[in-house]
Amino acid sequence: MAVLEYLANGLVFSSIIILASIGLSLVYSIARFANFAHGDTLTVGAYGAFVGFALIGDVGPTVLGLPGGFYIAVAVGAAVAAVVAVVTQRLVYDALEIGAIGLLITSIGVAFVYRALVILGFGTGSLRYAVPAQRPIPALVPIGIRITTQEVAIVVVALVLVVGLHLLLRYTLLGRMMRATADNADLAQVTGIRTAQITRWTWVIGAGLAGVGGVFLGLYNQVEPRMGFNILLVVFAAVILGGIGSVYGAMIGGFLIGMIDQLTPLLGDLGIPIGTEYSYAIAFVIMVLVLLVRPTGIAGGDPG
Amino acid sequence: MTHAGPSRYDRRTVLQYAGLAGVVGLAGCTTEESGGEDADSGDSGTEETAPDVYRIGMVNSLTGSLADFGTYNERGVALALEDVNASGIGGVPLEIIVEDSESLPDAGVSAAQKLVNQDQVPLIIGAVGSGVSTSIYESVVQGTDVVQLSQNSTSASLTDYPGLLRMSPPGGPQVQVLADLIADDGVGSVAVAWVNNDFGQSQRDGFVDAWDGEVAYDSPHDQEQSSYASVVAEMANSGADAWVFLTYQEQTAAMVDDAYSNGYEAAFYGSDSAKGPSVLAGTPAGALAGMKTVEPSAAIDQANYQDFASRFESAYGEAPTSWSSFAYDCVITAALSIATADGFSGAALGGTVRDVTRSPGETVTTFAEAADVIAAGGGADAVDYDGVSGPIDFDANGDPVGSFQVFEVVDDAYVSRGTRTV
Amino acid sequence: MSARAARAFATASAAERRVIAVLGVVGLLLIIGLLAGGIGPAYLLYLLGLSGMYILLAVGLNVQWGYAGLINFSVAAFFGLGAYGTAMLTASNTPLGVSLSPLVGLLVGILLAAVVAVLIAVPTLRLRADYLAIASLGLAEVIRIVIQNQRGLTNGNAGLRGLPLFYGEWPLIGGLVDRLPTVLIHEVSLGPVTLLGLRLGRSVWVGTFNLLIATALIAVVYLVVRRLHRSPWGRLLRTIRADEDLARALGKRTYRRKMEAFVLGSVIMAIAGVYYAHLNLFVTPQNLAPINTFYVWVAVILGGAGSNRGAVFGGFMIIAIREGTRFLGDLLPATITVGVDLIDTTYATVAANFAATRLLAVGLLIILVIRLRPEGLLPPEAELIWPAAQEEADG
Repeated sequence: MAVLEYLANGLVFSSIIILASIGLSLVYSIARFANFAHGDTLTVGAYGAFVGFALIGDVGPTVLGLPGGFYIAVAVGAAVAAVVAVVTQRLVYDALEIGAIGLLITSIGVAFVYRALVILGFGTGSLRYAVPAQRPIPALVPIGIRITTQEVAIVVVALVLVVGLHLLLRYTLLGRMMRATADNADLAQVTGIRTAQITRWTWVIGAGLAGVGGVFLGLYNQVEPRMGFNILLVVFAAVILGGIGSVYGAMIGGFLIGMIDQLTPLLGDLGIPIGTEYSYAIAFVIMVLVLLVRPTGIAGGDPG
Repeated sequence: MTHAGPSRYDRRTVLQYAGLAGVVGLAGCTTEESGGEDADSGDSGTEETAPDVYRIGMVNSLTGSLADFGTYNERGVALALEDVNASGIGGVPLEIIVEDSESLPDAGVSAAQKLVNQDQVPLIIGAVGSGVSTSIYESVVQGTDVVQLSQNSTSASLTDYPGLLRMSPPGGPQVQVLADLIADDGVGSVAVAWVNNDFGQSQRDGFVDAWDGEVAYDSPHDQEQSSYASVVAEMANSGADAWVFLTYQEQTAAMVDDAYSNGYEAAFYGSDSAKGPSVLAGTPAGALAGMKTVEPSAAIDQANYQDFASRFESAYGEAPTSWSSFAYDCVITAALSIATADGFSGAALGGTVRDVTRSPGETVTTFAEAADVIAAGGGADAVDYDGVSGPIDFDANGDPVGSFQVFEVVDDAYVSRGTRTV
Repeated sequence: MSARAARAFATASAAERRVIAVLGVVGLLLIIGLLAGGIGPAYLLYLLGLSGMYILLAVGLNVQWGYAGLINFSVAAFFGLGAYGTAMLTASNTPLGVSLSPLVGLLVGILLAAVVAVLIAVPTLRLRADYLAIASLGLAEVIRIVIQNQRGLTNGNAGLRGLPLFYGEWPLIGGLVDRLPTVLIHEVSLGPVTLLGLRLGRSVWVGTFNLLIATALIAVVYLVVRRLHRSPWGRLLRTIRADEDLARALGKRTYRRKMEAFVLGSVIMAIAGVYYAHLNLFVTPQNLAPINTFYVWVAVILGGAGSNRGAVFGGFMIIAIREGTRFLGDLLPATITVGVDLIDTTYATVAANFAATRLLAVGLLIILVIRLRPEGLLPPEAELIWPAAQEEADG
């Protein structure tokens, strides 16, 4: 059945968008501005992992179709993205005492800088990770689900990271401090939380998740300088749909947007003459419709 | 009310007299150019003197969605400049001012504006994207004498502008040949995946017109999608016997890759933009087996192409794409046009640029050969440059003649299956 | 006029004086460049015309953002609606098969923008600022995608071409650009320096007329917008921007007023689109790409958020940044030898890949300007003071 196949595609694509959306939402909640350089942070992570994997190579056991070395490269990519983001935050955003819109414009400039550096370093062509190509899992093909073990790896790792983040936010001191700072930075500071440090950590985690998302996007599609920018709009839509400031909202939003994008062929199957070229348009319209009903997004909290 | 500053009367009078003086002064040293309203070649330059370097312009996609083609072009151009400047054009070196179109019409137009109206080049090579080329022509070049020669645009719309020359053959005949090829292979229904821009739209229109069988799927995709999974799923579920890729290498590779990892099998066909090293590198071994593509036949049997290809390989480590060949030929054609023209102006170059590529004339295949013929006293009619991309031979609409070659992927390499014509 | 100008200069803030000084210097350099043959007149006119377009867009956005505090990211969509509105009626290859006057095109462009603005405003204006931003961006993309794929209306990716000049059919001026002769201004040698030697042909006349149209449009829009700024309506909008709850508590119909500001701003953007269509003579769906919206925002913010003069200045700035960086390539030497290998090779890469470097330069410039002048280069200062209060103070 075609529907199952679309759903499977949606699951994989959503995983990538969720990773990016959570990262964006975290930064949004702490830094209080829409970071338009977030897409290019994904790109940085993808290229970081590319270099990392080239250096580390095909070592270690193969788990879910990917060599151990690749997983290490994913971590490298995340680390590179995190470092770049923190450096940017210190050099650029920190010193600016301007409103959200000013920071947004600045982040547009930062996005250009990231992209230009990637092009200068790697050229404009597309790259692929040197992992073996795969066929779909044979057991699932008869029911119409066509998914490779690598794609399963993407979903699994995303799941692990999401659960990990949930545990971090809920049950660790850092998580509590992050939530407190996101809620009310001044109050948090008054209670003795070192908000500057917490902000730094939030950037690290947010950018790190974005980096992982970038690597998986590169694995799923391909690695090229505009990959992050191209997915940025849809990631924003996911965050807004889910509700700014809510990590769980970002997960829901990312899931929905990814699914909508991959389920668009269903319309054609059902005889509705809207082609897949309209898939982003449909996603945005649905986002606006949801906002009509819930103006702060699905899980968006206090508009304050 | 009082106010500080120079008295109103003085300042205003001074300004008035200054303005008057300026106008009178200008009037004194101006003349009208008789019968000259159409004869401007990029305005406001100093009157011409014999240059010590020939400067032409080029609008290339160095950044943006078509940046890969920018790179292919740069390589072809680099090799061409080597050949031209080995001897120079009558001893004078050729220089190309390159501006970035960012793969967008707006930026392309401002790039062309700078080249034509600021740098005052009489000839520009531009652009890659068909939409960019036509934008530039409509907005900047039309109505002037500047010669515009597009290196890579294949949309049918360029044929409507006789003044806009192009080195790559229009997509129309190519997709006709493709349709015939597919029909000859016994295919009944096809799924057409075309990239959603001027280039893809033009190819798709031509193909659908030429194809007699069933079109089970016919949908555009964006050039920079983050996932082509739904495109592939739809093509697979359409029940078509063959998939036709009217899109670029990156997209073709992504879709074939996706088909492979979804376990889909179909006969693959593509136009020349779907063929190249990135497709081979980006797909798993064997995934492309049997894919047939049609491309304007480079003169692969000719010494000039083989020489070009081997130089290209040693310089860049991979075989040249047709896009590099087109860019190479653009530069050579421009150089020959300059060499045979009566002065370095748009009007003069416009008079020779077509004739150097077509008969009458002695067939030459390299710049050096042509330079010899010209040095011996020949004009534009004395040479017929057949380039590395083919015989060129601009027709009345500024389109080159194309004959086509079919390639098939065997053991992850492209193997020629002979030529076809419309 | 002089009295007011002199007083304006005397009371000008430091920021304004600096900007006026810079503009003065730049203007002088441009004139010198023109006379010395360093800058082609047609090219300069083209850049000025393009700045005019950005100025209109920035002023339109300023009505929405500066006055009403609406973070609108659908600028490119309204620009495109204006451009396509006129193009669909006047282009030579329009699928609608009509050929009307650009003035009708202007009207249709404005109407189209107004209608779509209301349609977009209804679901988005009640949203909080950040949500409004992304929602408007999303809907702008929907418009772009529709224009791109509805080939029966818009010709899709092939675009609409063969657009007439805006004044092409006008009684006196109409054929003027074709009838005006090409004027040669001879060279004048002043010692080692040669001046002039200019050739003013058709593209210069076209550029001049286009610039006049742009100036007229900007003047009309600017005066209207300034008048509104000082009216009770403008006052109310600023209250809403500062504290919407307060305005509502005072019984004002804030939603209505925001809607009006949104529609007005969108109409101004559409006018910019119409102007662009008849300047460029070709429109494609890529004119509606989101990056164009970002550039207008950069213009407004760098110019001085909230001020109309800032918007005008921002329009010039964004062109200066984008087009000026083209010339950087000519200024930088191809290689340098510092002796440190890493620096030399990095420099070589940077100089060889100039287009990517230009992207880098644009990004760095944006960041730099924001760092150094966070409130923009010409923030609203005197603009915020009522003229009545000013006159009172002067006595």
